[in-house]
Amino acid sequence: MTESAMAVVKPEMKSYIWLQTADGSIQQVEEEVAMFCPMICREILQTGMGSSKNYAISLPQRVNPAILGLILDYCRFHQVPGRSNKERKTFDEKFIRMDTKKLCELTSAADSLQLKPLVDLTSRALARIIEGKTPEEIRETFHLPDDLTEEEKLEPLRNITDDPRIRLLNRLYARKRKELREREKLKNVEIEERVDDRSVDDLLSFINGGDGDSKAVKANKNKKKNRRRKDQQKDSSSTNENGNHDKIEELDALPSCCQNNEFDKISGASPSRTVKSQDSAVSIYSSKNEFDDADMYDDLDPAMKEELDREVEDFARRLNSDWPERVQEILSLGQERKLVTVLNGNGSSTRFTKQVLIGGSSLPIRVRR
Amino acid sequence: MLRMASTFQEDVLEHVFSFIQCHKDRNSISMVCKSWYEIERWCRKRIFVGNCYAVSPQIVIRRFPEVRSVELKGKPHFADFSLVPDGWGGYVHPWIVAMASAYPLLEEIKLKRMVVTDESLELISKSFKNFKVLVLMTCEGFSTDGLAAIAANCRNLRVLDLRESDVEDLSGHWLSHFPDKYTSLVSLNIACLVSEVSISALERLVDRCPNLRTLWLNRPVPLDRHPNLLRRAPQLVEFGAGCYTADLRSDVFSNLTTAFTSCTELKSLSGFWDVVPAYLPSVYPTCSRLTSLNLSYATIQSDDLTKLISQCHNLQKLWVLDYIEDSGLEALADTCKDLRELRVFPSEPYGPEPNVSLTEQGLVSVSEGCPKLQSVLYFCRQMTNAALVTIARNRPNMTRFRLCIMEPRTPDYLTNQPLDVGFGAIVEHCKDLQRFSLSGLLTDRCFEYIGNYGKKLEMLSVAFAGDTDLALHHVLSGCDSLRKLEIRDCPFGDKALLANAAKLETMRSLWMSSCLVSFGACKLLAQKFPKLNVEVIDERGHPNIRPESCPVEKLYIYRSVAGCRLDMPGFVWTMDGDASPRLT
Repeated sequence: MTESAMAVVKPEMKSYIWLQTADGSIQQVEEEVAMFCPMICREILQTGMGSSKNYAISLPQRVNPAILGLILDYCRFHQVPGRSNKERKTFDEKFIRMDTKKLCELTSAADSLQLKPLVDLTSRALARIIEGKTPEEIRETFHLPDDLTEEEKLEPLRNITDDPRIRLLNRLYARKRKELREREKLKNVEIEERVDDRSVDDLLSFINGGDGDSKAVKANKNKKKNRRRKDQQKDSSSTNENGNHDKIEELDALPSCCQNNEFDKISGASPSRTVKSQDSAVSIYSSKNEFDDADMYDDLDPAMKEELDREVEDFARRLNSDWPERVQEILSLGQERKLVTVLNGNGSSTRFTKQVLIGGSSLPIRVRR
Repeated sequence: MLRMASTFQEDVLEHVFSFIQCHKDRNSISMVCKSWYEIERWCRKRIFVGNCYAVSPQIVIRRFPEVRSVELKGKPHFADFSLVPDGWGGYVHPWIVAMASAYPLLEEIKLKRMVVTDESLELISKSFKNFKVLVLMTCEGFSTDGLAAIAANCRNLRVLDLRESDVEDLSGHWLSHFPDKYTSLVSLNIACLVSEVSISALERLVDRCPNLRTLWLNRPVPLDRHPNLLRRAPQLVEFGAGCYTADLRSDVFSNLTTAFTSCTELKSLSGFWDVVPAYLPSVYPTCSRLTSLNLSYATIQSDDLTKLISQCHNLQKLWVLDYIEDSGLEALADTCKDLRELRVFPSEPYGPEPNVSLTEQGLVSVSEGCPKLQSVLYFCRQMTNAALVTIARNRPNMTRFRLCIMEPRTPDYLTNQPLDVGFGAIVEHCKDLQRFSLSGLLTDRCFEYIGNYGKKLEMLSVAFAGDTDLALHHVLSGCDSLRKLEIRDCPFGDKALLANAAKLETMRSLWMSSCLVSFGACKLLAQKFPKLNVEVIDERGHPNIRPESCPVEKLYIYRSVAGCRLDMPGFVWTMDGDASPRLT
């Protein structure tokens, strides 16, 4: 080219830097714009690369031509010295308006070029996108897999064996599972043969020293107990109380039963579910094995759930059926409690007394502010 | 489509996360996917544990190895009203011990309603070389000896805030343990301390700490020493005065006024025990800049309060005693158009008759006059549905509304009706209501409103309200965002609780005292939901000595991944999954 031709083509003698992206394409960029990127700047100064097409600077893989274009737009604007803070801010705000995918690519690319102001700008923008979203929404936005397990979402409970409380809890779970498993096995027998109850009761009363033969029967927490409760109610008004008292006596009798090895054998063979707490007491006192949590837990989960669901239903049904009477009972119990406290009037209950009689201090008056 | 996660380097993601500090968002991030969980846990610097028993220190340490700031809460909120017996728990020591070895670079510890011992304080002072911030809010169990250890050993301490803690005050000498070379104090709050600290030591401390921004004195600091302190710290932003009483002396008055005038950055005032009204104008130079005024200890009468408040055009937060009366609140409404938060405390809560003229009208005035009012705590003796409805319509932007009508079960005093409609209006109109406290005569209807409208409600406090379990059922089934529920003296029993038991796993905690929840139900709950700790608190003795249908005295249920705690006193039992209450 002649000088005059060159003069027409390039009126100013600008320097250009040649950059090559990972896909092989090469482009030239005004030197001052390219130098705004620390990584490019270093390459130029240290290696002398970039001055011609053949010696184009290889950009990191994360910088594709489209993203490079964006980055260069950013650099082109900001490398101009005279701009005010407000101008720059306005530009930035407009600049980052793009879809999330592109924003991620831009952040990544800017990071690889060590262009910190742009990294900060895009990172903040991404942070604002993330803020206020639920994990599900974030996953959707960024197309991320839902690969945390339910347990991991809660807390990796099972992975921690060094916390003694976790170990204890796991041991208790294991016992519970074993207990339920055994009941599962024996459940069928119970439904078919009611007569077995009697024999167990006899055995129990034998163990308990013959203190009445109906304790175990009354204390049973399943359907039988419900029916029995209703029957008792027909008989007398205070049967609920009696039923409960009986159960309590039984619970008191636990230690002696449990020391008795015979009881272990008996409860193992028992066709019916005797007092639940007795069973569990047996489990606590008798079993010393550590169970392998993993298999049993998976096996039993639905069974355990079903079991407990039934119990809650029973409990709820029981509550529903005799709710009005129970409310009366409970309220009368509660009233008694209050009256007793008031009448006693000892030091510990003065606050309560105030609450009942005067009523002024019973409101949540904050002691401190 | 290209999976964006794969284009994202770990350090880039970490950098993005560094702009997200809110706990809720950090938690969300960690639950997105495995890789984000991993990245997030390595760069988490701040931990907030709303219930110290929900997780163990070991679990926290294992998951977050780079923590610099820990915030823990211990006792349930109702402990503030003496409903949680002494010795219940909330001990911080196991946390301090664990963190002492795991987090040598720990900088901040913030505790609320926890039991802190001198041993803990000493351990803190010796274990964390770069320790900067200690905030003990409503804590107890330590003495000024522990504070001496902190003062003596924490060379980089910036914040020592003992807000409303119960400190065994052995002497005021602890303050002198700050070494002469120590200059980094930014915030000091000793307002709760009872005994005198050496004023000259305090003056020297203030003198050599150029970054001091917050100084809350305690009551014994005499008024005539205030000017000296203020003069040494003209850069103060928050100041808590001590006792504002002295014989009237014009030189003291003018010194005070001059000192306050020079504090051009002062935005917050508090303290002011025993105010002599004549001295009050000495703070007038600060009024136009004040955004926060805490006069909850100040026995200032309505007229003087009005004069003061009428100059505080930029006030955003006001805590005051009911001496302010309706007239003072009207003045507040006229002057403080930027008011965001109002708390009115009772001067004589246990008096049978009202001692001040503070009624529902005061609150109505403020709701009319202050368009930015978001947070209200109001103690009064009378209320009407009409007033509440007006307040609700005026201020649908409210997020925290706590009304304490002092006498339980007080009806609308004009119509004698329950206050269901009024409280219902609040929850209906204030769509972003997060915190709600109820009082007065309330039936199940009120709770139906709450369940229906309280979708953003996070914390609800109920006392002496409701008729049946239906009320509790409405709340548990309707309030989608509920995290904390505290109930006392309500006729709520087993039904609603058991029917909505699964809800409890989505909440931080439930407190029920003097209600009708039976021991049997507690056991059943624990069986069905092993991730819940069901604590029965009963000072009458072991629950087993009473019938299973007998209601428990107090019940505290909270979700936990740490399992049953092992530090319970003799009157607390955690229901075991094995259907028997665990003893300590």
